Amino acid sequence: MSPEQEQKREAIRKALREVKNLPTLPGIISKLTKMADDPDTTTEQMGRTISKDHILAAKLLKLVNSAFYGFPQRISSLSSAIILLGFNVIKSLIISASIFELMEDQDMELWEHSLGCAVVCNVLAKRLGVSDPEEVSTAGLIHDLGKVAIKMELPGESEQVSALVVSRQINRFEAERELLGLDHAEVGGWLAKSWNLPAKLVEPISCHHDPSLAKAEPLAAAIVHFADIVIRGMGYGHGPDIWVPALAPRAWELLRLKPVDIDEMLAEVEEKLWDVKGFSLDIKAEAQSATQVPKG
Amino acid sequence: MQQIATVQAAAGMVLAKDVETGDNRVLCGKGTALTEAMIDRFKRMDITHITVQGHPVVEEGAKTLKEEVMDIEQRFGRVRHIKPLMYLKKRIQERLIAARRPVEPAAGQGDGE
Repeated sequence: MSPEQEQKREAIRKALREVKNLPTLPGIISKLTKMADDPDTTTEQMGRTISKDHILAAKLLKLVNSAFYGFPQRISSLSSAIILLGFNVIKSLIISASIFELMEDQDMELWEHSLGCAVVCNVLAKRLGVSDPEEVSTAGLIHDLGKVAIKMELPGESEQVSALVVSRQINRFEAERELLGLDHAEVGGWLAKSWNLPAKLVEPISCHHDPSLAKAEPLAAAIVHFADIVIRGMGYGHGPDIWVPALAPRAWELLRLKPVDIDEMLAEVEEKLWDVKGFSLDIKAEAQSATQVPKG
Repeated sequence: MQQIATVQAAAGMVLAKDVETGDNRVLCGKGTALTEAMIDRFKRMDITHITVQGHPVVEEGAKTLKEEVMDIEQRFGRVRHIKPLMYLKKRIQERLIAARRPVEPAAGQGDGE
């Protein structure tokens, strides 16, 4: 990299580090982290803490009960969600619920791409017998976190990137590397890391375009990498970037998928996508039709 | 299989998925051929969408099957040299074509696959 590029990259790094427009980590996260460190804390107590924010609690339960996680039974309490998914996943879900709220308003396509990716991750993770498929689904849900950050912090640059995607018919991450000297995967990785998310989430985010970089979680990174390819292939891309990116040979080796796996995976994903079609975190409309909704 | 708004439903269409009430009770099982009475009931029960077999509703401005197959071709245009992805492409296209095939009303509903 030329010194000039390196300089630019540093400037961008700095701009993104000092994120102003991005939702700061909700205060509830630090509170919950403190609680999780205390061995005397019960999941009920944590559930109660989350429940104080009615909207957040409703969103979390909605995410947990969606097809991305595929639990056969409805999970109706936050404490059972914490037990089933683990605190790390709940933490990342709180973060995604706040970030995706913005995304849902601004970038419906990216939202749908992310939801679809989470579905594919879930199907693949279960098929491959990964020990915590929910964590991989969550990684799929937030793998494009960096795109949201770039768009919000560097709107001008983000538009230039979009223009380059169109004019050169290339993937967004390629255009980002060319213009910014870094890509959204790297940015998403820093953010996730700065929020103290576990390596199981950080690596699949930061390595989803180059899974060979994953050291601690190569399989999770390979799953998210391939899920991104599959969901793009199925037509859930992002804006002008419709292209199915190249498959990393090493990731493909790790996944060891046979044609029959691909066939069954596609069938399962299609089925689940029907369920998430139109899935929205906007719970206002539903909340109004539901019973006891505290106003204001 | 196509998800349609209940107002688009017509008698004779065959359910591809169970129709459930808000509290997850099955109102009408998949494989059922719809009647006007059932459709009225769904509307009364505020069921906004149902999933039916085949692709009976052609929405205005929607892409034709041929266009969709070509779109898939285009999306995979930059990875033609990667064998597993060419298999993936082929299967996505084949599944799309199969899903659009109209259902034969007389047949005993070829289930499975």
